[in-house]
Formats: sequence, C-alpha cells, structure tokens
Amino acid sequence: MKKAGMMGNLNGIVFFVALLVIFSLEMFGKVVERGVGYYLKWENYSRPQLGRIWEKDREKIVAQKKIETLLSSLNTQETSSDSIQSFKELFEQLNPAVPQMVSRKKFLQLYFEFPEQLSRKIISPYELLEIDSNRDWQRVLLTQLGEWITVSFINNQNYPIREVFMSADGVGENPLVRDIFRGTLEEAGFGDNSILPFSDFMRVLKTLGSETQETLFPDPSWFFSKNYHVTRVGIKETPNSNEYPPPARMGVEYQSDFFTEVLILPVPGHISENLLSQIEIPVIDEAAETVSPFGDFQGESN
Amino acid sequence: MMALSLFCLGLYLDLKDDLPQLPDSLEKINLSLPTEIYSSEGNVIKVLGQRHPVSLEEISPRFTEAMIATEDSRFYSHSGVDHIGLARAMLKNIRNMKVSQGGSTITQQLSKNLFFSFERKWERKIKELLIALQMEATFSKEEILEAYCNQVYFGSGAYGVEDASLVYFNKRAKNLTLLQAAMLAGLPNSPNSANPFNNFERAMSRTRTVLNRMVRSNFISSFEMEQALETDLELAPPRIQSNPNQYFIQYVISNLENEYGKEFVHFGGLKIFTTIDSRLQQYAQQAVLTHMKSLDKRMAPREDEELLQAAMVSLENKTGAIRVLLGGRDYSKSQFNRAVSNNRMAGSSFKPIVYLTAMEVLGISPATVIRDEPVSLEISPGKSWEPKNFNDQYFGDLILKRALMNSLNVVSAKLVNDLTPPRVIKTARQMGLTSPLGENLSLALGATGVSPLEMAGAYSVIANLGILNEPYLVERIEDFRGNKLYEHFYFGVQRFSQKSIYPLLDMMRGVVEEGTGRVIRRMGFSHPAGGKTGTTNDYKDAWFDGFTKDMATVVWVGYDSNISMIDRNGRGLTGGGAAAPIWAYFMKKALSGKSQVNFPVPEGIRFVDVDSQTGYIANSSMKNTMTVAVKNDVVLTLPPSTDSVQGYSPQEESAGEPLDNLETIEEHVLPEL
Repeated sequence: MKKAGMMGNLNGIVFFVALLVIFSLEMFGKVVERGVGYYLKWENYSRPQLGRIWEKDREKIVAQKKIETLLSSLNTQETSSDSIQSFKELFEQLNPAVPQMVSRKKFLQLYFEFPEQLSRKIISPYELLEIDSNRDWQRVLLTQLGEWITVSFINNQNYPIREVFMSADGVGENPLVRDIFRGTLEEAGFGDNSILPFSDFMRVLKTLGSETQETLFPDPSWFFSKNYHVTRVGIKETPNSNEYPPPARMGVEYQSDFFTEVLILPVPGHISENLLSQIEIPVIDEAAETVSPFGDFQGESN
Repeated sequence: MMALSLFCLGLYLDLKDDLPQLPDSLEKINLSLPTEIYSSEGNVIKVLGQRHPVSLEEISPRFTEAMIATEDSRFYSHSGVDHIGLARAMLKNIRNMKVSQGGSTITQQLSKNLFFSFERKWERKIKELLIALQMEATFSKEEILEAYCNQVYFGSGAYGVEDASLVYFNKRAKNLTLLQAAMLAGLPNSPNSANPFNNFERAMSRTRTVLNRMVRSNFISSFEMEQALETDLELAPPRIQSNPNQYFIQYVISNLENEYGKEFVHFGGLKIFTTIDSRLQQYAQQAVLTHMKSLDKRMAPREDEELLQAAMVSLENKTGAIRVLLGGRDYSKSQFNRAVSNNRMAGSSFKPIVYLTAMEVLGISPATVIRDEPVSLEISPGKSWEPKNFNDQYFGDLILKRALMNSLNVVSAKLVNDLTPPRVIKTARQMGLTSPLGENLSLALGATGVSPLEMAGAYSVIANLGILNEPYLVERIEDFRGNKLYEHFYFGVQRFSQKSIYPLLDMMRGVVEEGTGRVIRRMGFSHPAGGKTGTTNDYKDAWFDGFTKDMATVVWVGYDSNISMIDRNGRGLTGGGAAAPIWAYFMKKALSGKSQVNFPVPEGIRFVDVDSQTGYIANSSMKNTMTVAVKNDVVLTLPPSTDSVQGYSPQEESAGEPLDNLETIEEHVLPEL
C-alpha cells in the first residue's frame, strides 16, 4: 500500500517534471511551433497551391499563355505573308474575316519580281514612287469588304496614305492573272500539239508590234535576273470561254537552277487570234515527219 | 495532455487539405510586371498592378523598428506565434464571444495576406497560424519582414513601403525621417481612417502612439520622440483624386478584359497605347466642371441634393480615334460612365439622321418646302399621335434647311411618317449607331436611347462626308519586350456619297450660324462647324452634338434620376443652354491656335440663295433668304407666278407664324463660362 502510494507519487513527479521540461522547452526553445513548422515544411510539396499568391501566379500564367498565343498567331501571319509568291496567291488568301498585311519590301518584291499584269491593275509604278516619296510608307493592308478589296498603303501610324479599291470578283476569277507552275508544259496541261520550241515562237513574236509583244510576253529582264533559261512555249485556247475571239493561255517553260517551271500567261482574245493564225501546230504523228508549226518541213520529205 | 494532443491532431487532419503550399521564395510575390496605359502623347496615365519592391537595406531602419514596435514587438523572439499576444487576444475574444482581436504577429499577417481571405473565422485563423509556423521554419526573419513591408497596404492606393513613401512624402523609403516612418507604420492598421490626406489629426494621434511604442520597445528614447514630434512631417500634396482620364481608362480596361480576359490585362505586363489626348481631356473636364457649377447655381433647389451630370466624347474624324471620353463630373464620386451608356434619349440631336434619310429616299432637298403645322399622325388604326413643336409654335411653309436649323418637331415627324421608322433606323445603322432603336414614329424626336459615343461616331460620318471610321480606344498593345500584340488599322468605309451628305452638313452649319446652336458663335467659337441641339421631353436630357472638319464632339447634360432640369425661374434647360456652352468652351480651347479649316465641297454640289419660306430662287425683293447647298440635279424654280416650285408638298398659303419668330426657339439665358 505504501509502495503503491510511493509509485503514485513518483508517477506524479515524473509527469510534473515532463510537463515542466516540455513547458521550458516551449518557453525557451519554442519546440512545439518549430516542430509543427518543420513538419509542415517537410510535407509542403504534397499540399495544393491554394490562396491569393498562387491565384496570382496562375493569372500570370494565363496572361503569359494569351500573349504567346497572340504572338504565335501574328508570327504565323507574318510567315505566311512572307512565303507568298504572287499577287494572285495574296488575293486568294484574302477573305473578309482575315485582312492580309505585307511589308513594303514584300509588296515591292511581288510588284516588280513577278511579271504579271495584276501589279499594274493595283497601282501604277509612278504612283508607287509618289507614295514612297514621303518616306512614310511602311506596309500594305489588304481587306475585303463584301465584293470590294481595299489595298491600303499605310504609314507607321497605320494610317492609310493611299487606298486602292478593287473588285473581288475581278481579282479572284480574273483569267488574265499570270501564274507559275512547277513542272513541264505537258504537266501544266499543254498538249503535245500545242508546244513548240522557243526559237520557233520567237520568230512569230518578232512579227508582232512592240506593244503586242509587251502585252503578250513578260519583261525579259525577269528571266535574266533570276537566271532562268526559256526552253519551250505552249499555247492553248481557254476552255469554255464565251468571248470571241476566244482568249488563250500561253505557257513559257524555263529551267531554273533546280526545277523546270512554266510561267502561265493569259493571252487576250485579239492577240491569240492573231498569234494562232500564224502558228499552225500540227497533230504530231510520230510515224510521220516532223512539221514545224510555221509550216516548214524539218524532216525529210516524201 | 493526451486529450489536447488528440484534439490538435484531429484539427490538423481536418484542415490539412486546405493548407496551401508555400512558394520557394517570398520574392515571388513581387515578380508581377505592371501593365502601363499610355495616352496618345506617350504619357503613362495608369499603371495596373504596380509595385515598388525594395530590399530591407533600402528601407529606413526607423520604419522597420516602428513597424515591429507597432505590429509585433516580439517579432525577433517568437517562432510565428506570440504567446502573450495570442493569450490576450483569445481572452478578449472569448469574453466577447466573437473574433474581435487578432493578436497576429507580422508572420501571421503576411500568411493571411498571401494566402487567405479576410473573413474573421476561427478556422481561417488556425490555418493562418499553421502557415505562419511553416514560414518561420522556412524563411529568415529578414525575408519575412521584407516581404511584409513590400506587400502591406498603406491606403491611398499604395502597396508596399516604397510606394507609400512616394505617395505620402514624395521620397524613397530609405530616406524617411523618424516622424514619417512612425506615421507610415501606423497606417497598415487603419489605412483609411488614419490616412493623413483624409484626417490629419487622427493620423498624428496614431503617429504618437507608434512613437510611444517605439520608446517602450527601446528603439528610441523619449527625447528622440519629442524631437521627432517637433519636426515637420513634409506631407506631399495628395495625388489628384479625380483623374479626368479615369472614365476612359476604366472603359479601356473593361473592353480589353472582354476581348482578351482579365488576366491578360492585369498580369500581362503590357504597354497599352490608347487614343486619349490628356490635354483635351483636361479641357473637357474644365469645361464640364465650370459650366456645371454655373448650372448648379441656376437650378431649383432639390431635396435629395442630386447634382446635374454631364458626359462628353470627342473623336478625331479622319481616324475615329477617341480623343476625349468623360463619363461624368467626378469619377471619385460616381463611376457610372455616361459617355458610353445608352440609356438616355437623343432628342432632336437624332433629327439629322431623319433629314438625311428623307433627302436620300424621298428625293427632297434642303430647299424643299414643307408645312409646319399641328398634325395628327396615325400610328395604328384608331390611334394617332400629335407631335408638338417646342413652345407650341408653328411656322407654316418653310424650307427643310430652316426646319432643321430650328429643330421643328412636326416637320421631323412628318418625314418619319412618310419614310417609315425602319428606313430611318437603316440610315442610323449605316452611321454606326448600334443601340436598339424603337420602330415608332417618335424616333423623329429622338425618343430612343443612345450613347454620346455613338452619337459622336454618327456625327463624324457627316463631318467626314460619308466615311464611317469606327470609334476606337487602343492604338496598339505591346508586351514587356516590345512585341506588338495588337494594332489598330483604319477601315474607313464610305457609307454615303459625298454629294448626299454635303447638303445635310450645310444645313447643320446653318444650325450653328443662325439656328438653335448659334450660342456657340456668341461664345466666340469661330471655326467652321456644324451641329445640332437636342432637348428631350420635359427637359430631361440636353445635348449638343457638333463637329468641325477634324473633330466631332458630343455633350450630354442631365440628371441620373432622369428628372426634368428646371431652373429657379421654372424654365427648363435645353441643349442650347446646358450642353452647347460646354461644347463651345471645350472646342475653343481644343482648337486654340489652330487654323480654321473649311469643309471641302464635293463635286456635283451647288450653292443657291432661296427664299426660306417658298423655296424659290432668291431675288432682291425677298426678305427671308438663305443659301442652301443642293445637288446639281436638284431643280429649283424662279419666283414668277407662272412657275411652280419643285417642292415636296404642294404650295399652299403659309398659315404659320412669321419666320422672324424662329429666332426665339430654344433660346434661354446663357450662363457665362
């Protein structure tokens, strides 16, 4: 009984001492706070990112993603406009929802490098010079509103220095627009019976007036500047044309450093009639002799 | 002991999932780049999310001492919880049976500010405490103190000690004096009530308390405290509370938020280049405030003491750029943007749209004669409408130009009746109005809600000779690296032929020269201009919408509660008396020093002097003549009795009042600016 009483007292003392130790450790060493603090620190990364600071972080990420999306969309637009090879392509990419922007440099490249009549339909080179004279012209914006296309020459404030209005129908379905086809004349749809060597074509071209020559054939400087060598020419009537005399399409095949390409040119009806009357392309019979489109016999005569 | 431990464990397990993760570094909280909004002159007019984080070395030690003495005197000795402070707060809260005192340490406050809501709940308090303990175990005391100083709110829109030093004392935090440091340290606890700009006495009283606590914490001696109290506080003048650009800024922000999302605007670190011209905006506010004060004195006293409000929009015609957008008298008192709200009737300022439609559709011209007389128009079987002129005055036969110059309601109503409302609405849409427009005859009198911004856009179409440039706010947006994210392009669309618009433009010049808007000439505005007054039923709205070659400006005046504007003499305020003077004052300042630019006359237009009553080509015997601009193909006739007039309605003997009386319409005593 006495022993049990002593044990009880001892337990009480131990408990009291333990409490005293814990209290002292807490008072002087802040063990509870530190223990909890370090425990929470240890399992920090298993907890969710909650609260204002993380919300702010998420909002920053959302903002950054939006910025990246916008930038990427703008870059795509810029890259796609940089890769455009002709005005025809430029106008084809245009739709009412998506205005097209090209730099002054790109516009001039398309205007002067590609030998097509559409350039002159947009604006004359003299007017371009005038626009450029105040050194303010930065870019060209093409917008489509209904059936009208607006070509705006804009300054660095995005204000249009000059606006040109064109009919979308006229541009989209204009048979006079020139094009480049990568491949041979045959692959471009010119039949064997519509193809002749370039030297033969030149003989006919020389007989035409200078104005007709310029209308019919692109500026030779274009071929020289790009180191293109013309090989053959093909001529065919435009199918399903209601016009009379019917217009034609001419293909000028040339060799570039790496490819064979065909410059496809529209030939107005009155020129095509004149041209085709001088060119008689025979139906080629391989078994028969070769006949020049000009009627001269090239092979042996029977 | 065991029970307490189990209770704590249970509590922890219950709250565990709601405890947030801590970032690796407390500097993270200051990494947000501010979004800057620029005016058209290139000045920063607003910064969103601006912070000026500084290191502890860049903060005056007096400030950190004052802060510790005030907020957490045992900051350096506790591990996130101040036992004594907490016990005292708990006792008080138990006694009050609610959470009325925090006893929070600086670490706990930082924990709360970074992670938790501000609602006073036990649960939130425990989570805040646990995170404070973790912060103490993770970061040094210096890091915690620095983070606290950089994010705490000091009132007057200042977050962080550096920003607060600039706002209150116009100096860096490292240069704060003892008195200034003590004042700032007293602010986080009561940023509004102890704000020296709002209540200087209370702010000084709080400062004394802070200094006393510094003495008690042995940071300073009593002598230093007395010395500090004798120094000059050198309080900076308060930032302009009512920034005149504020309506515009908020409109830009809300538009961009709708377009790109809130996060993009506030956390994108953007540079937003807007169209606003701060100088013109300042003039607009001056004009509005000056004239409003004058009108306040004139108005009949009201029990609710509601003040008149005003809105103004000014556009650059050739681009559509919004140069001025003022949505009310004082943004700090009312944030409702009246410049873009379409809840007020346009009144007679809508009439030019009716007249343009009539000239386009009915083939009439400014010289066409129309009869101004009481009329009853059928609006549905058995139901009619009897429009009335201002002051119930009718003038018999008169030409269309004169009718518009004097804003005759009957003429406008007759035109809409012949045109049908949908046809007028079609024209309004072509002019850029987007608000819902009621398909009823009262459209003739502008009984349809429109916004000043819309009206400015529509009037700029007239000034532009038919070209609509959509009003716009933002020129371009760049990210912090200068990459363009958005840029505005001009899509000017010719909505009406120049020949069709010019006769209307000329008629509206007549309004300004000799019609209801001639007050602007009397006020000395001499630039070539056109415009139209507008006063709605019972004088609830007063408008003056006008333009020069380069600018279209619209002013609206009215009460928010849509009650009549009646002055002490019982007379109602009209567009000519309440809105036109603001327009004239503003435009005079805006165009001061600029040369006068005439409106170009398009091809196919000729000017003819005609009799304003009969529409005959004028001769020397005629008394009331005026010049009208008509298309070349409009046939006008000479007065001989054998000729008939090519008029819209058959010539009948005039039955109205003499035209001389037109001078009195809508004219009232005008206040001086």
